[in-house]
Amino acid sequence: MSAPTAQKFSSRKIRWEILSSYLVMIFFALLYIGPILMLVNASLKTMPSFMKDATSLATELHFQNFIEAWTKANFPQYLLNSVIYTVAATTVYIVTAVFVAFPIARGYIKFSGAVLTLFVIAIFLPPALIPQFQLMLNLGLYNNPIGYIMLFIVNPIGIVILVNYIKAVPKELDEAAALDGCGYFRFVLTMILPLIRPALATVIVMHAIGIWNELIAPTIYLTNKNYYPITRGLIVFQGVYGSNWPTLAAAVLLLTTPMLILFLFLQRYIVSGLTAGSVKG
Amino acid sequence: MSYHFGRGWSKWLPYLLLLPGVFFYFLIALGPSIATAVYSFTDATGIKGAPMHWIGFDNYREFLLMGRASVDNLEALKRTLLFCVAVTTVQFALGLFIALIVNQNLKGTNFFRTLYFMPVILGVVIQGLMWSLFLYPLGGPAAKMLALFGMRSEFLGGPPEQAFFWVIAIQIWANMGTTMMIFLAGLQTIPDELFEAARIDGANTWQVFSDITWPLLTPSVNTNLLLNIIGSLQAWQLFLVLVGYRNGTQVLGYLIYATGFGQTSGSVSSSFRQGYAAAASIVLFLLVLVIGMAVQTFLQRREERILG
Repeated sequence: MSAPTAQKFSSRKIRWEILSSYLVMIFFALLYIGPILMLVNASLKTMPSFMKDATSLATELHFQNFIEAWTKANFPQYLLNSVIYTVAATTVYIVTAVFVAFPIARGYIKFSGAVLTLFVIAIFLPPALIPQFQLMLNLGLYNNPIGYIMLFIVNPIGIVILVNYIKAVPKELDEAAALDGCGYFRFVLTMILPLIRPALATVIVMHAIGIWNELIAPTIYLTNKNYYPITRGLIVFQGVYGSNWPTLAAAVLLLTTPMLILFLFLQRYIVSGLTAGSVKG
Repeated sequence: MSYHFGRGWSKWLPYLLLLPGVFFYFLIALGPSIATAVYSFTDATGIKGAPMHWIGFDNYREFLLMGRASVDNLEALKRTLLFCVAVTTVQFALGLFIALIVNQNLKGTNFFRTLYFMPVILGVVIQGLMWSLFLYPLGGPAAKMLALFGMRSEFLGGPPEQAFFWVIAIQIWANMGTTMMIFLAGLQTIPDELFEAARIDGANTWQVFSDITWPLLTPSVNTNLLLNIIGSLQAWQLFLVLVGYRNGTQVLGYLIYATGFGQTSGSVSSSFRQGYAAAASIVLFLLVLVIGMAVQTFLQRREERILG
């Protein structure tokens, strides 16, 4: 007699839990979609219509804003600069990082544990901002794309992730390859690299996003407009078009959309970079 | 570990190939990082070729003890701590709450997870501009909502305390997804059988959380707390995008940047005083170190007590 009642009660309770879960998820989803929707809407409006009512739905699709944003702000140049900085620095970094991580993981160099500790230390030391600037200034690399790229060819966390991953690759592989006459350099490039692809992808994605989104370094180091990456370009554009929200919104959207599409493909690499080691504590 | 790839000179190949990475690391990261302490005892400027003198603790004395500026500095220090406490508390609690919700076996949770995590890829510039528009005081969405209750606000352009509040909120919005993802990774290491067993024993939702989920989540709790605390003590870039260098809103990170590289906005102006900025960096570093170590010790004791 009492069993069905209890079951009924608990299933009703579960349904209530599900409903409130969805309510919470949707509420927060609105907080995350809202600003993007507002951006889309504003970018399609004319300036007078935005001034009259900023939130009313765009009645006509005013694509002129996008054309204006694209041509007036030198965005193609900024975008190209960002791509060059990101690709160049990430390439140099990942190649040098693999040749640091591999011998440490294998113990092929003396004091490999101490060398790894040296890399971990950097995470806890004071920011290098001021002396870094003095260094670049005295090397004559201030306001210089090469100097700017040099700032981003180091990333100790990536080394730690690579070392941990390489440790899981069986050591017998080294021996077998060496017996077949494979040299050290060729072994790392042709055998190790393909085997650690997931870790490589994680480190590359994390590092590249960091460079792409960097705002402080270009503000400090680059004064020539032709060298600006897209972040600095956007801030400067805001300074000029700050009151013209439809054009500014179009500019922001032009740069947000490719990132969002990329995000869908790269998400799992970002997540694994974040959680690498963190669960173990 | 024995080395298989040949003898003679090829034994040195690993060292040779390791060299570029280690060299750049010393040159660009480790060296400058340590040199910050040295610069903090000088009157270095950001001008090439300008002479530099050893001035002992003068920068520290000026930063902490002298005149109107030091009062502002101590205010910024207090504000940094307030920012840290507010961001850490809310982001930690919200991240955990949302992680528990999207970890349920429900349709569409993947979509919501992706959505909440999205800001991490956008970076501070896009995050900041997006919210500047959302908080547009002349009829933007947030202003419209307030108007429903007969209220109005200048948001980021309002009084300093208000602007500061909004930067805290946006900082949490931008980084809550990271906290959530780390908690999710932790939740997935807890075996389902434990939850089922507890349910069969008649435990309610709260009991399941406090007796199983919370203690077994300890590693993720530790990671998130440390990341949030250290991260928010050092964060300041959203201030740059959202409000600029404005009296009554500065935090230490922004102050270091402004004194070291010159920032002028409104009545506040500063010059290239890099020795002074280096001293401020060391103050922030010590703050992070002391708080970080205290929290780390506390978390370790707690972990030993819970997990044995």
